[in-house]
Amino acid sequence: MNIRFWGVRGSIATPLTNAELAAKLETAVKLSIKAGLTDKKQVSGFIRSLPLHIRQTVGGDTACVEVKAADKLLILDAGTGLRRLGLDLVKRYRGNPIEAHILLTHTHWDHINGIPFFVPAFSSKNKLTFYSPYPGLKARLKNQQNPEYFPAPLSSAFKFVRLNDCDKFQIGDVKIETIPLNHPGGSYSYKITCGDKTMVYATDSEYKELSAGSLKPFTDFFHSADILIFDAQYTMLENVEKEDWGHSNVFIGIDMALEAGVKKLVFIHHEPAYNDKKLYNILKKAKEYVDINQSEGGLELFLAFEGLSMTL
Amino acid sequence: MKIEENILNDVSRVSLEGRFDADTCDTVEAFIRERIEKGRSQFVLNMENVPFISSAGLRVVIIIARELRNEYQGDLHISALQPTVNKVFEISGLNNVLRIFDDAEDATLGFSK
Repeated sequence: MNIRFWGVRGSIATPLTNAELAAKLETAVKLSIKAGLTDKKQVSGFIRSLPLHIRQTVGGDTACVEVKAADKLLILDAGTGLRRLGLDLVKRYRGNPIEAHILLTHTHWDHINGIPFFVPAFSSKNKLTFYSPYPGLKARLKNQQNPEYFPAPLSSAFKFVRLNDCDKFQIGDVKIETIPLNHPGGSYSYKITCGDKTMVYATDSEYKELSAGSLKPFTDFFHSADILIFDAQYTMLENVEKEDWGHSNVFIGIDMALEAGVKKLVFIHHEPAYNDKKLYNILKKAKEYVDINQSEGGLELFLAFEGLSMTL
Repeated sequence: MKIEENILNDVSRVSLEGRFDADTCDTVEAFIRERIEKGRSQFVLNMENVPFISSAGLRVVIIIARELRNEYQGDLHISALQPTVNKVFEISGLNNVLRIFDDAEDATLGFSK
């Protein structure tokens, strides 16, 4: 199973600003002077040595994750990251028909805004199917492209499959399960199993009741996942201040992942107000917490960024 | 989780013994809420004998402290954190918004200052 992150931001697309780019460049140049660079050949190695928050950005596109399992192409959410995934698929398939299965967690803007810009939908030879437990999904997506909001209607290339709240189904050899999460208007988690490998995508969920009993339905669903992609939009404090906004934090994610025996925990749905430095600082604190919290060091932590690829 | 309460100068000193996590957070929260309902608003949470706190414990602490401050003109003072637990308060940022004292006596006196 191959996983690639195309959009990792929550709430709204958040492009890097000119001021943020200038700050990264200024820091990098100062560090290059300090390092005593004298030759062009040293530049690549020097850039690779820089901290991640200086040499790259986590990215500004909203939720979209590509999963290739067996010979199937799955897409988790259709935020603005879907636009670049679509362009990449067109290049990769070189005119051959694209068959994609798009699993939607919910229909808030940051999870559907990429659909009007998904170039594979412009060709009727491609087979594109949406899955979700929401009634009237097609109507919701059509409304997003009403003339009041967008110049072109929803592509007729899309097909729709309605799921149940807690569903189990297969796409070829890929097994998929769903459970509802805690989010205003609802959201669903997807568990994808191929052979002996399992990944769970659980974004847009708030956990206000943290007793073992209250969390059990979720930790059972996450049980032994090789990868858990988890909504950690806020800091611990902001999570409390923004009660009922439907998101979580790294500390809750770590405790749930440890309880469930997860191997790799990936934080996603980054808060638009947090810059790269803050996000990597949150990851640093998360690593300190997990070091305190686990004795045998089985859980690995990752911050999702655009272009991150993981193989199971 | 063992919980004991002593009342000094109208301050409820709640001493915990054991891990403060998903298995015990409901017990601690219910214990304090019961006393809030009876009219208490000034609490010291003495954690001298708490070797570990998880996100579940942290959430109870911050939720109760905010509620006491915003709705009852009271507060929840924290005292006697073990080094590991103190580190978790620092990592989570809760040390910036809670009043944390070296021992329960100072935490109790903190209400009269």
